[in-house]
Amino acid sequence: MMLARTVRIAVVVAILGLVVTLALAFRRDPHDIRTGTIGKPAPAFTLERLDGSGKVALADLSGKVVVMNFFASWCLPCTQENPALVRVYERYRASDVVMLGVNYQESRDSGFAYVRRMGMGWTTVADDDGRVAFSYGVFGPPETFFIGSDGIIAGRHIGPIDEETLVTAIEKLRGQAASR
Amino acid sequence: MNGRVVIALALVALAAALLFAARPPEVTADERIDQITAELRCPVCQGLSVKDSTSETARQMRDLVAQRVREGKSNSEIEAEFRAAYGDWIFLSPPVASWSGLVWFVPIAVLAAGLLLVSGRLRRVEAPGPVEPSAPQVAALRERVAREEAAEG
Repeated sequence: MMLARTVRIAVVVAILGLVVTLALAFRRDPHDIRTGTIGKPAPAFTLERLDGSGKVALADLSGKVVVMNFFASWCLPCTQENPALVRVYERYRASDVVMLGVNYQESRDSGFAYVRRMGMGWTTVADDDGRVAFSYGVFGPPETFFIGSDGIIAGRHIGPIDEETLVTAIEKLRGQAASR
Repeated sequence: MNGRVVIALALVALAAALLFAARPPEVTADERIDQITAELRCPVCQGLSVKDSTSETARQMRDLVAQRVREGKSNSEIEAEFRAAYGDWIFLSPPVASWSGLVWFVPIAVLAAGLLLVSGRLRRVEAPGPVEPSAPQVAALRERVAREEAAEG
């Protein structure tokens, strides 16, 4: 009798634990996985521009809101998200927001041809050996990181991003910068 | 030679042999790269280590590990670099001292709780409580006591 009651209680506790775990897991946005780099200073880097016109260092963009997008021409979701990136770039190109495209696992020729074909007017750089992607914890393109004017990674988006998500994240960071 | 000296020399020789046997084995740079990459999860694969994957991402990660080994970084320093970027997810075996380390402890705790539950239940079954005597037994006992008291006088 006592054993049966204990077993019943244990089963109820186990089911409750499972429900709570699943509820917490489903609440998380799979595009916003909180890996080690979120809330920490953005790893420094210096990369060559895809058009061969010199180098870009993250330190050069200090004090600005940086939208850093990892992309590749062989990545179909990158092509899907590109119109949103172009619209957001046009919207903020005269502001304190900098968009930076990081070409991932690709030859510079094909990367640059893709940039011209897709109308990407923002600065694009080549991460030839993937070191910058690894330092940011990139799983694969497309991934977008939002870096505040304080140099801290405020958020990331895994997979193709839309205009609303981009604008919301940028405006949040601009608001934080203005209140400092 | 004095017996004590012989014993002392023998003990010293034994200690030296034990120290020699217990010394850490020499590990080459390639072996260290294999050790580290076997523990790292390939980010673009399904459950494959960086060592076992043939993907471009895994190749680049192996190159990075090899460079860090050449730079003289320790295994833990190299692993910390990947943990900083990807979290504990990047390791195929979750570290024991972390939330994901619960994977190791929860089954053991559940097993121990189950064993305690079953053994407690078995003890209760094996040792039944005292049984109350029936009314006729009590009456017979009282009658016997009264008889013995009467006989004693």
